[in-house]
Amino acid sequence: MASEQPQQGGIRLKVRVNGEQHESVVDPRMNLADYLREELRLTATHVGCEHGVCGICNVLVDGQTVRSCLMLAVQVDGKEVLTVEGLAEGGKLHPIQEAFIEEHGLQCGFCTGGFMMAICELFDRNPSPSEEEIKEVVGGQICRCTGYNAILRSVQNAAAKMGASRS
Amino acid sequence: MAIEIPKNLDELPTTRPRYVGRGIRRVEDVGLLTGRVEFVDDVVLPRMLHCAILRSPFPHARITGVDTQAAEALEGVAAVVTGEDARRWSLPAQSSPEGWGTHCIAGDKVHYVGEPVAAVAASSRRVAEDALELIEVDYEPLEPVADPFKAMKPESPQVLDAQETNVMLDRVFTWGDVDGAFAEAAHVFQEKFRWNRLGANPTETFGCISEWDPMSLDLTIHGSIQSPGMFGLGRAATFSLPSNKVNIISHAHGGSFGGKGGTRGCDISCLLSRKVDGRPVKWIEDRGEYLLSGGGQAWDRHYEVALAVDAQGIVSGLKVGLVDDLGATGEAYGAISAAKPLAAFTGPYTIPVAQYDLKLVATNKLPCGPYRGMGPPPHFFVLEQMMDIAARSLGEDPAEFRRKNFIPADQFPYTIASGNEYDSGNYGEVLDQVLALSDYSALRAAQVEARAEGRLVGVGVANAIEPGVFDWNAYAIVGMPGTGVPEGATVNIDILGNATVRVGFSLEGQGQYTLVCQLVADYFGYEPENVRVVQLDTQSAPPSFGPGGSRLGVAITGAVLGACERIREKMARVVAVLMQSEPENIEFMDGKFTLKGAPGAEMTVAEVAGTMLARSDLLPPDIDPRPEATHVWTAAGRTPADEEGRAKSYLTAAHAVHIVQVEIDPETGMVEIQRYCLADDCGTRLNPDTVEGQTEGSVVQGIGAALLEEYVYDEDAQPLTTSFMDYLMPTVFDAPKLEMVAVETPSPFTPLGAKGCGEGAIHTTPAAVMCAINDALAPLGTSAREVPAAPMRLWKLIKEARERASDENNNY
Amino acid sequence: MKSAPFEYVAPSTISGVLEILGQNDPDEVKLMAGGQSLMPLLNMRLSRPALVLDLGRVADLDFIRETDQGVVIGAMTTKRAVEDSELILREHPLFWESTVAIGHPPIRNRGTVGGSMAQADPASEYPAVALVLEAELVAVSARGERTIPADDFFVTYLTTCLEPDEVLTEIRIPRLAPRTGWAFQEVARRHGDFAIVGATATLGLEAGVAVEPRIAVFGAGDRALRFPSAESLLAGQPATDEVIDEVAAQVAAAVEDPLDDAHASADYRRHLAGVLVGRVLREAAVRAAEASTGA
Repeated sequence: MASEQPQQGGIRLKVRVNGEQHESVVDPRMNLADYLREELRLTATHVGCEHGVCGICNVLVDGQTVRSCLMLAVQVDGKEVLTVEGLAEGGKLHPIQEAFIEEHGLQCGFCTGGFMMAICELFDRNPSPSEEEIKEVVGGQICRCTGYNAILRSVQNAAAKMGASRS
Repeated sequence: MAIEIPKNLDELPTTRPRYVGRGIRRVEDVGLLTGRVEFVDDVVLPRMLHCAILRSPFPHARITGVDTQAAEALEGVAAVVTGEDARRWSLPAQSSPEGWGTHCIAGDKVHYVGEPVAAVAASSRRVAEDALELIEVDYEPLEPVADPFKAMKPESPQVLDAQETNVMLDRVFTWGDVDGAFAEAAHVFQEKFRWNRLGANPTETFGCISEWDPMSLDLTIHGSIQSPGMFGLGRAATFSLPSNKVNIISHAHGGSFGGKGGTRGCDISCLLSRKVDGRPVKWIEDRGEYLLSGGGQAWDRHYEVALAVDAQGIVSGLKVGLVDDLGATGEAYGAISAAKPLAAFTGPYTIPVAQYDLKLVATNKLPCGPYRGMGPPPHFFVLEQMMDIAARSLGEDPAEFRRKNFIPADQFPYTIASGNEYDSGNYGEVLDQVLALSDYSALRAAQVEARAEGRLVGVGVANAIEPGVFDWNAYAIVGMPGTGVPEGATVNIDILGNATVRVGFSLEGQGQYTLVCQLVADYFGYEPENVRVVQLDTQSAPPSFGPGGSRLGVAITGAVLGACERIREKMARVVAVLMQSEPENIEFMDGKFTLKGAPGAEMTVAEVAGTMLARSDLLPPDIDPRPEATHVWTAAGRTPADEEGRAKSYLTAAHAVHIVQVEIDPETGMVEIQRYCLADDCGTRLNPDTVEGQTEGSVVQGIGAALLEEYVYDEDAQPLTTSFMDYLMPTVFDAPKLEMVAVETPSPFTPLGAKGCGEGAIHTTPAAVMCAINDALAPLGTSAREVPAAPMRLWKLIKEARERASDENNNY
Repeated sequence: MKSAPFEYVAPSTISGVLEILGQNDPDEVKLMAGGQSLMPLLNMRLSRPALVLDLGRVADLDFIRETDQGVVIGAMTTKRAVEDSELILREHPLFWESTVAIGHPPIRNRGTVGGSMAQADPASEYPAVALVLEAELVAVSARGERTIPADDFFVTYLTTCLEPDEVLTEIRIPRLAPRTGWAFQEVARRHGDFAIVGATATLGLEAGVAVEPRIAVFGAGDRALRFPSAESLLAGQPATDEVIDEVAAQVAAAVEDPLDDAHASADYRRHLAGVLVGRVLREAAVRAAEASTGA
C-alpha cells in the first residue's frame, strides 16, 4: 500500500513470505533483512556486509533477486518474498541444494543462501545458462571459502538436474 | 595398555576402507543449505539486550572526558559502559609479546582508529546505535605514527604509555655460520620487499551473546568462536575468574581463517551484561566494525632479504630482515605470525644456514592478528622472488634451479636450519607432476611468441611448505611458552549400535564432522549415517583446541581413532568373557569380533554394545560396562625451543608447486591469470574432495592477496578501506579455473599418514602469481616488489622502466 | 550498521510527491529511487534525512517508449528492465552495454536509470553515456516541468542542477545518426565495481573521415566529462591511429584535478582516461566502418 503521508513509528505491512501471509507493524528504518530475521525469525537469510556488496542476504522479491539489506521492509508491502526457507519443499531438497551438496559447492555455508537465491532467478530467466551467464550471476556474491570453482560446478549440475526434471 | 593408532589406511580394521580416502556427501550440508544450522546471530535469549560500540575516530588522542548521560536517558537503553568499567572489572588483554595489551575499552588514551571508547546495551541494535550518537567524548589529538621505521626512532610519538619504546622485539636469530656462507658465496643477491596489510574477512563477522551473573560470577558466552577452549581461558584471565567459571558455547560459524577476532567486543558485552545484572547481551560485529577494527588484519611487512649462492648454483645461505608493523598492541597475537616462519624458514630447499633479523614494531594502527597461513605466505613470497632473481641472473630455468636445491626425497625426516623437522616429502615428483600438467615447455614456447609481439606474458613457478599440526613451541621467540596442543573426542556406542561422537569444536567449513563420520564408519563397519557428531560446550567437552594451524584434521583423526581403539579393546575383553577365551584371541575386522580358530563364533559391535549396556551383570566387575571411550591426541616428540628458537614444532610439512601464466596489460597494469596449475602433496588424503575444496578456496585467497586485498592507511594512520567497496574481496571473475594434481607421500608421524592441509595454497599462490608477474615484466628490466600488485603499481613500474629505456636510447 | 530513524512516505502520484516536497524542508527530505546507493548511506548513517520519500510507488515513471526522436525512459525504470529491453538493445546498444556494466544483477534489479542520473556519482556509467548520446533529462516541480540537456545536468561530485523541490521524471535519448559507431570501456579493479576510469564515444565515418565525434570519460574528474576541443580535433580528420593517439593525449591533458584515492592516483587516472579514449575511438571507428560497408 502506498502511504500518501509521512509516517513515523509503526507502518503496517502485509507481505507473503514463502507462501505464507504475514502482517506486521514495522519501524520505517527497518530493512528487509532485519525484518525477515528479527520479526519473522526466518534466519536462513544471513547478513554479510549491510551495504550491498557481498550478496549474502539475497532474497527474491516478486521473483527478482534483491539485496535484502538494501531494501526497506515497508517496500515489500503487497509483494511476494522467497527466502532460503522456501526452497526445500515437502521434506525434499531443491535441486539447487542437491547440486551444492554433490559438487561441494559450500564449506562454511554462511554465504550459500545468497548464491542459491540469485541462481533461482537465473534459472527462471534462463533454464540453460552458458558459463558466462552463470558467472555474471555468481559474480554478484562473495564467498570466502570455496574459491568459486565448486560453485560454478554446482550451478551447472543444478541446471542439468532441473533440465532433466523439465523434460 | 598403550593405544596403537593406525598409521596408514591398511591398519584400519576393515578389509578395504569404504569411506576414508574418498569424498562423500558432507554431513554438515543439509542443515547449512536449509538454514537450519544456528549461527550466533540467529540465537535469541530471553531478556536479551543488544550492544553497540562507540569507536575512536582518532588514531592517537588523549581522552579528557566521556559524557554518557544523554545516552543513558534514551528510551530503550539499559546500560552504558566506559573505560572506567573496563578498569574496574577487567585486566588489560594478555598479549604477545607480554605487556603490550590494553583494556577492552580505552581509558586515558586511544591508540588507533576504531578503538572502543564506550558501549551501550539497549533493546535493539538500532536503539543502541542511536544511543552512541548521544555519547560525548572529548579528545585531545596527539601526533600519530603510521610508519614503523619512524616509530622505531627515539623521537617518535610513543604508542603505549606503559612502554618506553615502540619496539616490541628486536632480535637476530642465527642458525649456523651465515657470515661464512655469505663471505664464500659465488653470488649474493639482495632485495627489499613490501607486503601490505590484508586480512581474513570471513563472510560472517564475529558475534557473541554474553551472560555474566554478578552474583555467582558465572560467565557464559555463546559465540562464533574458532577456538572455544583458548577463548574461555582468555576471558578467565581478563576477568580474573577461575577457569571453571567460564563456559563457552561455540556456534557454527561462517568461516574464520584465523581472523574471527572479537575478543574486545566480547569482553565489552561481558561488562555490559554484568552491569545489567547478568541479562544476556548480544554483540554482532558489523562489516564496518570488522574492516575498521576487527580480527585478522595481518602481515604489514617490510623485508630486506639476501641469498648466497655457490658456484654450482646451490643456495648456501639465507638472510631475512623483517620489520613487522604489528599495530598498536600485541593483543591479537600478530607476533605469532612473525615467529611461525621458523617452522619452514628455508622452504623446500637444502639451504644449510640462515638468519632472521626480526623487529616487531608498534604503530597507531589496528593490532595485527592471525590470518590463514599465520605468517609464512609473505615469507615464501620473498624467498621465491629471491630464487627467481638468482635463477634469472644465472640464466637458469626457475623450475630446474629450484629442483637442484630441493631436499632430496631420501633425506626425510629432514631437520632445517631453523630447527624444525620435516616429516616426509618428494618435491621433485610434485614438480614433475605440475610441469607435465601445465605442459610447461609449451607455456614457455607460447611466451616466446607473445614476447615477440611485445606482449607482457609471464610464467611463474613457485613452491612452498605448509607447516601442519602446529605446536606452541613454534612461537617461543615471541613469548609463547610450552608445548602440546591436545584434541579430544568421546565415542559412544548406543544400545542399538549407533555411534555418537562428542567433540569440542563447532562447524567452521572444513568438513571435520564428515571426516569423523568417515573414520568411525570404516572403523566399526558402519555407514556414515550410523554416526552422529555432537558438539559440547567447554565445560563438558573433552580437551579441544579446535581448528587452527592446519591441525584439526590430523588431530581429530588421532582422537577419534584412539577412542575407537579404546572401545575395541574394551569390547574385546567383553567378547573374550562371553566366548570364554582371552582378549588376545579375539580379533576385530569389518565390524565383527571373532574368536581365533573358532569359525562361526562372532559378535557385531551392536551386539557387544547391547550386552554391555543391558547385561553388565554378566561382566566381571573390573570391566567398565560403557561402550564409550575418550581419547585425547597430542602430537608426539615435540621439543622445547632452544635459545635461538629452534624446536621440533609443526608435525607435518606439506608441499605444493604452482605454475601460473599471466598477461599484464601494459597500458592499464591490469593482470589476467590465464592458466593456473598446481600439484600438491599433503600426505594421505582422508577426504580428497575436502582437500580440493580447501585448496581451491586458498588459491583464491592467495590471488586476493597478490592482486586485490589491502588495508590502506594514510600517513596519519587513518584507515581508508572501511567498506567492501574499498577492501576488495575476490569474486568469481578473479578466480581462474584450477587444474590440480595430487601426490601422496604419507607422513610417518601421523594417524593414517595425513598431513595438515587446511591453510594450504595461500602459502604458494601469492609467490607464484608474483613470480609470473615478474617473469612478464623481466624484458622491461623491472620487477614488482610490493604486494598486492595493484594495477596502478604495475603501470607505474612499466612507465618508469620505459622512460629509463628511452633515456638510455637517447644517450647513445 | 543500522539506519538512524526517519519518517517514510511513498506517494502513488507525482503530484503527491510534489505536495510532500512542498510541505517539508527539502534539505530534510531524501528521495529514494531504487535505493541501491542511498540504502548503504542510510545504513552507515552517512545520510540521515528526517523523511525518506520513496518514489517506488509512483505510477507512470517506469516505462521505455519509442518516439519519433528516439527513446524515452522513465526515471524509475530499473536497469534490469533496460537490460531486458529489445528496443534499447536495437536503438541504443551503447546504452544497453553501459547498463550491463553496472554492478551485478541484484543491484540492477532495484537500481533505476533516474536514480543513477540523479546520484551523479563521478564514477558512474550512465552520466557519461548521457553526455555522448546528448540525452535530455526532464524534471518536474510545483513550478512546472523543464528539460535539461545532459551537458548542464551534471554539476560536480554527487551534485546535479536539480533544485531541492524538483524530481527527475524521464530521460530522453535522441536517435543516433545512421551508421554511427559507438564504444564503451572501463577499467575497474573487479568486474561489476565502480570504474576507476571509463570512456565512451560515438563517431561517424565518411570516406574514412571522422564525423561528429563525441567523447566522454567517467571516474576521472568530479563528474562525467565531455571533451569538445578533443572532439573538434578529431572531426574532419581521418580516424587513423596517429590522430586518435593525439586526441587521446589531448583528453588526458584536459582532465582537471583528477580524483585521487587508495586505488588510483590522479596521474594514473589521467593516464587511463587517455588510454581508454584511444580504445573507444578505435572500437567506435571499427563499428562505424562496418556500418558503412554494411549499408
